[in-house]
Amino acid sequence: MRTNRIIERVLDHGVAPLLLVPSVVLLFVILLGPFLFMVWTGFTDLHYALPNRDGAFVGFDNFRRLMQDDPIFWHSFWLTMKFVFGVVLVEFAFGLGLALLIFHYIKNHRFILTILLVPMMLAPIAVGLIWKLLLSGDFGMFTYYLRAIGLADLQTSILGNPSLVMPAIMLIDVWQWTPFVTLVILAGLLSLPKEPFEAAIMDGARPLQIFKDVTLPLLRPIIALVLLLRGIDAFKEFDKVFILTGGGPGISTEMLSIYTYRINFRDWDLGYGAVCAFMVYLVVLIMCSVFYKAVYWNEGRSKMAGKAAA
Amino acid sequence: MAMVATLIAILILFLTPYLWIVMTSFKTRLDILSDAPVWFFTPTSENYPTIFIDKNYLPLVWNSMIVASFSTILSLAFGTPAAYVFARFEFPGKEDLFFFFLTTRMAPPISIVVPMFLLFSVLGLTDKPIAVILAHTTFNVSLVVWMMRGFFADIPREIDEAAMMDGHTRGGTFLRVLLPLAAPGLAATAVLCFILSWNEFLYAFILVAFEGRTLTVGIPGLVTPHGTLWGQVTSVAVVATLPILFFTFLVQKHLVRGLTFGAVKG
Repeated sequence: MRTNRIIERVLDHGVAPLLLVPSVVLLFVILLGPFLFMVWTGFTDLHYALPNRDGAFVGFDNFRRLMQDDPIFWHSFWLTMKFVFGVVLVEFAFGLGLALLIFHYIKNHRFILTILLVPMMLAPIAVGLIWKLLLSGDFGMFTYYLRAIGLADLQTSILGNPSLVMPAIMLIDVWQWTPFVTLVILAGLLSLPKEPFEAAIMDGARPLQIFKDVTLPLLRPIIALVLLLRGIDAFKEFDKVFILTGGGPGISTEMLSIYTYRINFRDWDLGYGAVCAFMVYLVVLIMCSVFYKAVYWNEGRSKMAGKAAA
Repeated sequence: MAMVATLIAILILFLTPYLWIVMTSFKTRLDILSDAPVWFFTPTSENYPTIFIDKNYLPLVWNSMIVASFSTILSLAFGTPAAYVFARFEFPGKEDLFFFFLTTRMAPPISIVVPMFLLFSVLGLTDKPIAVILAHTTFNVSLVVWMMRGFFADIPREIDEAAMMDGHTRGGTFLRVLLPLAAPGLAATAVLCFILSWNEFLYAFILVAFEGRTLTVGIPGLVTPHGTLWGQVTSVAVVATLPILFFTFLVQKHLVRGLTFGAVKG
């Protein structure tokens, strides 16, 4: 009887911690644990491929090497930045345009949305594979038609050409992720209140003016959200590049994730690799907090969700 | 009308790369390697049995299913109660904790997988499905928390109050009243977790090498600088993607919400 009462009281008053704590503990153990382990490894000389490098404490040596003696890391860093800004801008421009077209011209968009979903829901490794086949120098379908219209000469394979390979990878990302931007912006457009538009039309505003002065400001939170989400995701890009080029030719597509992978799992330089991994984490963490502030903190979560509700 | 026609043309062009890979999986080696692209051909059914039976790729399908199923179950079991707390309770540091969940979802796999690999080697867990299941749970738990918080918030508080008037405890209200009401959202979240785990490559690639390989991990090894058997690789890619597309269409309604962490309701 008494235990029943206790159980009942726990279920009534102690229920919040009871339900919340397991997930927090789980994440601490399987995520924060490894994370702290990585930070520690960054201060050691751990190396699996060299003798006598069994994890002695070396202070900030790895950080110093990263800042001063590693041009390839910084090459990868700027390459990744260019990739992120390039694809996010293009995907945003195309995505917004497509969303507006669908919004204004297509009544029943369910079918179109279904088709748009395909590339973004494919496993990224499969997306890489698809384009590896299409861009193959010998029998790639895309290469064939590019040559037929005179855009690529017979010798080059696009993925083997240092100056063409990066734009190609960016275009592949655009193919894969533009639909995501379209979907989110379209959901935003559909959820906008009608009144401001009616008022603008009453005032005799022209379509372009309405778009600039009414649509865009109302969409701003959604646009911020989609830009940041895509930015964070693009920064982490690994799968497609891994299967398409593996970072080559040379280091011309060696983005940060690929570089960090090489240091850790090809060179087995785990101490230094941990510092590289930490840098990647740091950048994402910063972008993530901007995302959170921009989208949730200022607006207030419930208000935002209410506004976006269809 | 012209606009609609243009849009449809664009969409067909847009799907061609995927259709090409499906076609390739039914082509003979001769048709695949021909100089000019072959659009019309007599389909062969030899690629699928060769790779999945003769080269024993069938267990990879099984591994992918095990990993995706268990990481989904684990994520829902841990994440749903937490989401309910975030939707219904106020406590100090709540939004900071919520942000912590977001960072776990956004964390770049390459930074987490390195220490995870070291830790799991020490524990003797590498090359076992459990390693990948745990790794995928790190990002799926937070997806569940973020998505389900929104679904719980959509249920009016009056329903909680009525249930508690009827003598349910808070825990009972959550289990017997709110959970059934949020079931459609829960199903959509589960499908999305399953998809994300099934599609994931980097964690699985580092953490399992041989017996425990998932389908995505099986793909790059088949691509070699010389003599890739494209008919077979594309067969694997089709098996790895077609079921997922089917699932996607099932949860299409909730997809935008899931992919924007509950910020935009599709």
